[in-house]
Amino acid sequence: MRDARAWTYAALFGALWGALEATVGTAVYLGKMPLRGTVMGVLGLLCLVCLRRLQPRPGVCLLAGVVAIFLKVFTLGGFFPGPLIGIAVEAIAVEVAMTATGGRAIGAAIGGAVALATNPLQKLGMMWLVAGSEAVESYLKVGEDVAAAVGLGGIRPLAVFAVVVAATALVGAAGGLWAWRVAGRVARRMGARP
Amino acid sequence: MRRFAGLLLFAAVAAVLTGDPRLAAGAAVVALASAWFLDPPAVRAALRVGVALAFLFAAAVTAAVVAWAVGPGRGLEVGGMVLLRLLVLTVAAAVLVRAVDAESLLRATERVGMERLGLVLGLSLNALPRIAEASGEVWAAHSLRGRGLIDRLGRLPGLGEVLLAHTARIAEEAAAAASLRGHSALTWPHAPLSVAVRTVVVTGPPDGGKSVAVSCLAARLDEGGVPVAGFVQLGNREGGRKMGFRIRDLRTGEEAVLAEKVEREKGEFGTRFRFDEAGFRLGRTALARCESGCVVIVDEVGPVELRGAGHMPAIRRALAVPGITGVVMVVRRALVPSLLAALDASDAVVVDVGEAGDAAAATIAEALAIKR
Repeated sequence: MRDARAWTYAALFGALWGALEATVGTAVYLGKMPLRGTVMGVLGLLCLVCLRRLQPRPGVCLLAGVVAIFLKVFTLGGFFPGPLIGIAVEAIAVEVAMTATGGRAIGAAIGGAVALATNPLQKLGMMWLVAGSEAVESYLKVGEDVAAAVGLGGIRPLAVFAVVVAATALVGAAGGLWAWRVAGRVARRMGARP
Repeated sequence: MRRFAGLLLFAAVAAVLTGDPRLAAGAAVVALASAWFLDPPAVRAALRVGVALAFLFAAAVTAAVVAWAVGPGRGLEVGGMVLLRLLVLTVAAAVLVRAVDAESLLRATERVGMERLGLVLGLSLNALPRIAEASGEVWAAHSLRGRGLIDRLGRLPGLGEVLLAHTARIAEEAAAAASLRGHSALTWPHAPLSVAVRTVVVTGPPDGGKSVAVSCLAARLDEGGVPVAGFVQLGNREGGRKMGFRIRDLRTGEEAVLAEKVEREKGEFGTRFRFDEAGFRLGRTALARCESGCVVIVDEVGPVELRGAGHMPAIRRALAVPGITGVVMVVRRALVPSLLAALDASDAVVVDVGEAGDAAAATIAEALAIKR
């Protein structure tokens, strides 16, 4: 059947995501709210997983990501590279995970875990890009020195970073499953097969 | 000249990312000069006092950390590099964003043959006011219903659910509007529901007499010697409330239970009903009676069918029978655009029983235009 809904759904869910990023995202960014990346990541997951559950076609999440970036740049959000990279990575992660798992709940969990776990990695990457590898190594060394000075000499900054990444991934997986559940309820409201 | 300045800016961005401090310093000067030539307001906007102070702070922290770890000289060098990179990247981004507006981006997508992407981006821009309106309404309802902060926080997932459902409905309407206007740029090239004969789409309000009208039509056709194949779905009521559906074979009058109302969480196909395989089986049998000279009557084509499930495979088989003389499909008003979009029929007529009233069956028969 000729059906434009995959495109219109991607446009609308991308618009919702972009609008959330441009309004809520800009507010939490300017307000320096803690865990702002995680909060915005979960909101993005909600949009992407719901979109993919209502329109189970490969590529819709990528298209929604493009729309969200477009709206974030050309509306209130402005050109902050961090959130834009975050949106792109999240859209790719959910798309790949959902496609690989045949659009099941496990895909939402994996996609959510990967999408959110990349937040701290992305910060590290940006630091590496702007400050260089020497600065990153210096930060790690200073971290070790500070830890040793306060009596936590055995703790290595890289291990702490890995724990942060793992914790963020766990939050992402839980967020993905929650988004899957909400998407199911939305699907029932819409009369789609849940 | 502007193109040359743009190229210089691009080259400066690449150069500032290298590890050589002298090259980075030169690149920063070139980048600032090119950006100032291209768009002075963009440079001024990018280098506000607050932003400049934030850059200085980031550079100072990095300088201090590297000085602690490696040495003061190297710390100053790395801190300076951070400052230069932040300056150049920010200025280049500001110039780029001001140079590219939404309209030019949409035109560019068209030029490179990505018309669908352009349409999707345009649709997303046009839909923003509706999303904002829906968000406002949902938020107002959330605020009115919530009793205290804790209650409102507990209702937040519900708020998200309603907002997502609103968004999905706007997407459905946009698709339906595109179909009604004959826009096909966004459609998926799947096999359409091909009908080679006159197709009458019967619609009307809920409980408005659609099934009664097509039942009368079937009887009228039968009396006139026109064979009919198909079914009607009739509501089962208790105390005036619809508690389920049964399906009736229009040729034999045989009936079977199609669906029963259950709790919302236990419903199937996204409905509040649980479906019975016996009902689908009777539907298949009724449509399988289709033969040359038949009028195919399907009451009704619902969202499940429009997604290719439910009765749809049987409908496809019936419509492929050579020599059928007409097709009557019942559909609720909201789904008329979707059905028309799915149909590949050169000759389709819509009859609204709400407007036709008691003469609905006669109107449908007239629309079928069967000559005997």
